[in-house]
This record gives sequence, C-alpha cells and structure tokens, in this order.
Amino acid sequence: MVEATAEVWHAQHEVHEHHGPQGVLKYLWSTDHKVISMQYLFTGMFMAVVGGFMAYVFRMQLAFPGSSVPGFGIVSPGEYNSLVTNHGSIMIFWVAMPVLIAAFGNFLIPLMIGADDMVFPRINRLSFQVFFISALVILGSLFVEGGGFGGAWTAYPPLSAKGVYNQTPLGATLWLIGVALEFVAFLLGGINFITTLMNARAPGMKAYDIPMVCWMIVIASILFMLSVGPLIAGAVMLLFDQTLGTGFYDPAMGGDPVLWQHLFWFFGHPEVYVVMLPAIGITIDIVATFARKKLFGYKLMLYTTVATGVLSFFVWAHHQFISGIDPRMANVFMVTTLLISVPIAELMFVIIATLYGGSIRLATPMLWALAFIAEFLIGGVTGIFLGASGADIYFHDTYFVLAHFHYTFFPIAIIGTFAALTYWFPKMFGKMMSDKLGKIHFWGTIIPFNFIFIPLFVLGMGGQHRRIYNYQHFPDLAGADFQRLRIIATVALLVMLAFQLVFFYNFIRSLLRGEKAPKNPWNANTLEWTTESPPPHGNWPPDQMPKVYRGPYEYGRPDRESDFWPQDEPA
Amino acid sequence: MSAKPIATTRSATGIPTGRLAVWWLLASEVVIFGGLLGSYIMHRVGHPEWAEAAAHTQVWFGAFNTLVLLTSSFTAVLAHQAAESGQGKKAAKFLVMTMGGALTFLLVKSIEWTIEISHGYTITTNTFWSFYYTAAGLHGLHVIAGAIIMGFIAVDAWRGRELQRVELIGIYWHFVDLVWIFLFPLLYIAK
Amino acid sequence: MSEHEQLNERDREQVEERHEHGAEHYRKVYLTLLVLLVLSVAGPFLGIVWVTLITAFGIALVKANLVIQNFMHLRWEKRLVKWVLISSLVLMALFVAGVAPDVMRHEGQNWVNVAAADAVDRGIEDEHAEEEEHAEEGTAVTVADPDAFDAVGQFNLICATCHGSAGDGNGAAGAALDPRPANFTDPAFWETRDDERIKTAIRDGGAAVGGSPLMAPWGVLFDDAQLDTLVEYVKAFRPAGQ
Repeated sequence: MVEATAEVWHAQHEVHEHHGPQGVLKYLWSTDHKVISMQYLFTGMFMAVVGGFMAYVFRMQLAFPGSSVPGFGIVSPGEYNSLVTNHGSIMIFWVAMPVLIAAFGNFLIPLMIGADDMVFPRINRLSFQVFFISALVILGSLFVEGGGFGGAWTAYPPLSAKGVYNQTPLGATLWLIGVALEFVAFLLGGINFITTLMNARAPGMKAYDIPMVCWMIVIASILFMLSVGPLIAGAVMLLFDQTLGTGFYDPAMGGDPVLWQHLFWFFGHPEVYVVMLPAIGITIDIVATFARKKLFGYKLMLYTTVATGVLSFFVWAHHQFISGIDPRMANVFMVTTLLISVPIAELMFVIIATLYGGSIRLATPMLWALAFIAEFLIGGVTGIFLGASGADIYFHDTYFVLAHFHYTFFPIAIIGTFAALTYWFPKMFGKMMSDKLGKIHFWGTIIPFNFIFIPLFVLGMGGQHRRIYNYQHFPDLAGADFQRLRIIATVALLVMLAFQLVFFYNFIRSLLRGEKAPKNPWNANTLEWTTESPPPHGNWPPDQMPKVYRGPYEYGRPDRESDFWPQDEPA
Repeated sequence: MSAKPIATTRSATGIPTGRLAVWWLLASEVVIFGGLLGSYIMHRVGHPEWAEAAAHTQVWFGAFNTLVLLTSSFTAVLAHQAAESGQGKKAAKFLVMTMGGALTFLLVKSIEWTIEISHGYTITTNTFWSFYYTAAGLHGLHVIAGAIIMGFIAVDAWRGRELQRVELIGIYWHFVDLVWIFLFPLLYIAK
Repeated sequence: MSEHEQLNERDREQVEERHEHGAEHYRKVYLTLLVLLVLSVAGPFLGIVWVTLITAFGIALVKANLVIQNFMHLRWEKRLVKWVLISSLVLMALFVAGVAPDVMRHEGQNWVNVAAADAVDRGIEDEHAEEEEHAEEGTAVTVADPDAFDAVGQFNLICATCHGSAGDGNGAAGAALDPRPANFTDPAFWETRDDERIKTAIRDGGAAVGGSPLMAPWGVLFDDAQLDTLVEYVKAFRPAGQ
C-alpha cells in the first residue's frame, strides 16, 4: 500500500488543475470550499428571513391577540404552535449551524491553515446537498395537510409521537425527517472539518499556530459528532412511534417518555456549545485584530475551550429538573451546570484581557464583537438562576427561560454572524462594505434587541408561561401592564427587522458597487489575508502555498516597526 | 475531478487522511449504536417480563450469522493484506468474498424475520420486539451500505487503483461485525 | 514533500511490523474468535445465570477486543485514534449512567413510574393477555367513526395521560404538572363543577374555565354529542354518595 500511495501522491503533486464543471453549474455543482461556503451562507440567510418572519407573526399575535397580522392573516392556535416550533428549529438547525459552522468553517478552515481546499471536496458537496434537501423538507412540512409540526422544537413525546395528540401527523414526521437529514449533513461536514484541520495544515503550522476560530469550529464539530448519535437513534425510534405505532416512548407499552428527553438533551445541550464556540472564535479573532494586541493566553483559552466541551456533556439534565427525573440526579446536574459557567467566564475574561491596553479601532466588525461579549454575558448570568434546580422549579417554561436563551442564541447566531460577515466580507466577495451603513445597522439591531428581551425577562418573572397563544384567557396574565410589555417587545422587534433592510441594502450595494478590497484590509496576521480577495480556485498558486513561521496573534510587538506580523513572513 | 487537492495529500498527524476520517466516522457510529443499545439495555433491565419475549428469538440463526460475519471480517483483513502488498486483483477477490458474506447474512436475516413475523412477532407486538427490529434493522442497513461501497472499491482494486481504500472499507466492515458481536448476546442469548 | 516521505517512513514501519505476523496471525485470531463463538452459544445450556452473563457479555468483550486490536489494527494505530474511540465509549457510559436512574428503575426517592411498573406486572402475569390488550389499543387509535364513539377508549388515549386511567389525576404526564391535573375521584372537585363547565374545559382548554393553562383544548377532536359522552364518562368517576 505504501508504495502505491506514495506514487499516487507524487502523481497528484504534479497535476494541480481541478477539472470542475463550467458555467452556472460551477456554482451549483462545485466542490470548491468557497463556493460551498456561499451556498451555505445564502441558504442560511434565506432561512433566517423565514424564521424572522415567523417571529414577526407570533409576536404580533401576542401583542395584538386575535387581530389579523399584515402579511399572514388571523393566527389560529394550531398555526401559532407551528410557528413557534418551526421558528426555533429553523433558527438553530438551519440558520445558526449552517452559517456559523458550515459557511464560515468551509470558508475559513482551508484558507486559515494554508490549504487549497477541504480534504474531501466531494463529501463537502454532498454535505451541502443533503443539507439543502433537509431545508426543503422542513419548508415543505409547513404546507402539508394539517400544517407544520406544532409540538415545540424539543418534540417531547407523547405530544410528538401520536398524530391524535399533535394534530399534525404529516408535519411531525416531515419535521423529524428534516432534522435527521440535517444531522447527516453536519456529520459529513464535521468529519471533513476535523480531518482537514488535523491533517491538512500548512508546513510549519503547529497546533498552537492555528487561529482560534478554526479550533473553535473543529471542537464544535467534535462535540456535535459525539453528542448527536443517541438522538439519531432516538429519532428513528420516534419515527417508528409516529408511523408504525411502536411504543418506545409510551409507558403503557413498556416504553418511557423521559427517555426521549434524555436523548434529546444529551445532544441538545452540547448543541448550545456547538453553535456558541464558533461565535466565540470569531469574536477572538476580531478582537485581537482590532485591539492590535496579542491574544491574552492562547493555550489557556484552548484548554478552557476543551474543558468547556468536556463539561458540556455532563449538564444535559438541567433541562429536565421538573420532568420527574430522580432528585438526586438533579443535584448532580445542578452542580455540573454551575461549574460550566467557570470556563465560559474564563473565555470572556481572556477576551476582555486582550482588549486591555490595546489600541482599539472601532470598525463595524469590532463593534459587533464587543456587542457579542456584552450581550452574551447577560445571557450567561441569567443562566445561573436557571441552573439552580430550586429556582428552576419556578422559572421553568416561563418567558424568563425564553429571554435567557435568546440572550445567548441571538449574540451567537446573529451578532456572531454579522461580526464575521462584516470582517471577512472583503475576503469573501472582494469588495469593501460601507462602514457608515454598517454602524447604522449595528445600532439599529442592538438597541431594539434589548428592548425585545428585557421586557420578556420581566414577564417571565411575573409568571408568564411559554407556548401560549393568547394571554387574554388568563386573568393573572391579561392585565394592561403585562400587555404593555408585550407590545414594547413586539414594536422593538418590528424596528429591528426594519433595520435589517439596511444590512441587505449595504450587502447588495457593496457587492455591486463596493470599493475593491485589497489583499489585507484590516492588517491581520492570519493566512487568508495573504491571498487575493476573493481567493482564486485553489486559494494560492500551487507553487506558492504558504508556510507558517509563527502564531496568529503577533500584533503590536514593540521590537518591530509594523504593528502586525503575518504568519507566513519568514523571520 | 481526476486530481485531488493538495490538502488531501497532507498528513500532519501521521495518519493518512482517509483512515483518520474513517476513525471519526466510527466514533460517530459508536454513539449512534451506543444510544440505541444503551436505551435497550436500560429498558431490558427494568422489564424482566421481556425475557419471555426474548425466548422466542432464533438463537441458531443468530449464531450462524455471527459465524458469517466473523468469516467475512477475516476475508476483509486478508483483502487489506493483499492490497498492502500491491496485489489489487487478489484484494478484489477477497472483497467479493466479503460481499458474499454480507449477502449470506442478509439472506439468513430475511428468513429469520419471515419466520418471526409469521409467528406473530412484529415490530408492534411489544417494545422488546420494537427494539429487536430497530437495532437489527439499523445494523442491517449498515451491512447493505458497506456491501455496496465494497463493490465500488473492489472494481477499483481490480484495476489497481485507490488501493488504500481497501483498508478503509475493511475497518468499517470490522465495525459492522463488532456491532453484531454485541447485538448477538443482547438480543438472542440473554434471557 | 519531506513531510510526506516522513509519513511513508512511519507507515512503512507499521506495515512491516504487521507483515511479520501476516496471514498466519490473522488465521489464529479468526480461529480464536470461532472458539469463543461456540462458547458463547454453549454457555446458556448450563442454565446458570451468571455463567450465561459471562459467556454472553464477557466473551463479547473479548471478541470485540480481538477484532479491534488485530483486524482493525488498533494496536498499531496512533494514540490519537485510541483516545477518540475511548472517549466515544466513555460518553456512552456517561449517558447510560445519567439516564438509568430515571429509565431503568421504576421507583425512587419520592416518585414511582406507575405505568412502567404496571407494564411489568401485566407482562409477568399473562403475556398473551397483554398482547391482546395492545391489539385493542391499536384499533382504538384508528377508529374515528363518530357512530361508534368510544368514550372510554378516547379517555384512556387522551385524558388518561394526565388525569390517569382511574381518573385520579395520577397520569404519567401529570406527575410534574403544577397545578396538578384534576382528580375526578375527589369529592371536593365535584362541589364546584357542572356538566357545562367540564364540557367547556374539554372543548376550549383549562384556561377557558380559569383552570390550568396546561390542559389543552380538544374541541377539534370531538363534536358536541361526543363531548357529552365524554362528560358522562368523567362523571362516572364521581365518588358514590355525591
């Protein structure tokens, strides 16, 4: 085998041209990691618009119950359930994951480690195709008879297992198939990310020379791969419960509904870190670049991240404190849950320590990165209340929980994405974005965001339960003071959605008429800035593949004239 | 797509990229089967009455299928050895024998299931049988997938191309064998 | 290029080490596996439980180890791969350890899984009776013919999840609810209820009568006559003398 493979290797090193399809097919059937990254990005952005529209419809229903929502009509209880369920599923599985992990992972990993592509380009293409089909399935499920699945994104049985309970047998099955396909897509993609980072690094690039965002995306992929398995098995079991009438989750038939909750959250909690780590990685890279300062404690950060990843497997049952789990296990999971705030706080402190004493440039990407830290901290701190099992008995399934996880997911999925997009836009599309419009969009997003969710914290503490489509039925919750808070949240959402038009305008205008981007507009160190913007097929000419001489965060060294020191510059 | 990217040929870990990917694939398979079998074991311990149902499984079919899979694993490793010494045609022959094992396994499995279903033990009879058909079915899908991929690799190996892939499908095939090694006592022997 | 030559060197050493053993070694492993297979099949014939457990699962572990080490070449593989596989196995052990207290056992500190314990009892008492019962349940799901409205079946399918099939508010899904599902066998319950109120609660949900919002509206499922039949069935739980 050795002789044979060695020959193959030599042969490959001599043939560098990739013979891909031409014309439009070049974009639909390409194996180039950059094209696949764009496919993920645009699919994810489209799904974000769908998910945002859903949020608009059900927020309108909550603020003005019973009135016709412009662009949708009157919301029935079943439609409301379907809207909240699919809003959650789409935003996590079809927006946060494809954009943060797949789009930026695909774009950044090969470029940042100095490779010409992913190690398995065709598996990469397959991964997107499966993902695209899964997106079609979930969108299709909204239009089948009975409507989309309405049993919440956690799909607890018995509600999800029997059509007679959820009233949407077809929608529930399609939802499950869509989610399962999405998992398959990310398993394929994850293997690619992991092996690419492990094996395809440029000569000279040691483990501690890898930019943090690559580490984060790959650690996230590992977490995903090791946590999703039980849920895939569980999804098959749920599918059989739905379609064949088995009783895996039916206690009367010898099954157990709590089993699904365990299977779901054994994946579901690491999943939070799967999307969180890439966003933190993006923040770190941007903060180091715009503070012109070396990252404070690279190894500390890496080990902390690994510790977070390991700990994230030990906390899942804190979602089930009132599901009738064994109280002794609740104690165990409470302790681990409170423990995991330690490494996360450490990550935050590393970022803040990097800022300290830096010469900070407040460009749009930096504003987003700083906003990520500020908003995510609120999400993290409110999580501590929920992690304590005593307090959780009161807070469980209230709007406090909802506001808490939106304060974590919004910074992750939306702020993280905008940070990355504004930072790497010049490299991805070869054009500069307007900084002025970017800042308008930034403030127009961040301020309304807080006006949406801070009222929801208050409502949650007032005892407002989630997943109820009309609070006027509840004497305790129907008061005018509560309703005013709901209207504030909805109006803030409308303002925030309106400001997204600024982003789309900026995006399209920059694509068409933006200033041409230089190779390295931000004076950053990492390898992707050493090639053209946008990078050609193969990223670098085959005979000029970069070599690495140092770590990625050598900014502002006193012994050098220039305040940055690219990774590929010989000493 | 004749040429591979430079990235594919690099190997910073010292493990060839294809093999590294197969190991990661297996790690994700371990958790898929682990989740399913873990759920089964927990239910099995909590439901002593399932022993009654488990007594109706066909031990001899299970034992014969274990023999078939062990033998096919043996031919798979011989195929790998042939491929390592560059004998593509010999490797292809061993791979075809392994595929024959897969086919025998599936044949025996279908006869066994036909008998069980005709005795009235279907997937909805009770949750033991639900687990039985789900676990064995998931494993069966892996057998089918492995056999199909093995066919493509055997054709390539016959022409002396991509010989390193013989090892990769071999590792996967041994994993399929391993799953069965655990399914056999779990579903057939433990009563 | 040197990088790759280096790899070849390492890989070659590994392969050479393996070839020393060669086909002879694989054959030995294969024969050992067959002997172990015979043992694991023969074990249960002794009829001793612990022997069966050892021959079944102990031998499965030995066989698995032989296959992994020799056929999959893990003993020649880099340490990294071993760590990957071990961590995935450890995670599964963790999963089982975290879930077992809830799923494997049917009672614990302050809780009992009534439905599962019942399933065990039923199964042990008479397996065949249990099968027939399930067959009935299976048909109840599909019957949607209003002429043959089965109030008992619908109650057991939909209401009993929370209210319990005995109407005592102790259904499997009701255990964690706050406020607790209504207990129809409690005389206090009936002091404040009339037919119309029960009917409204079933049709429009608990919130419609000022009760728990967690009781869903079921009006889509039943027409007026069926609701009346269900109300009659709920009233059957009313304790005598009320």
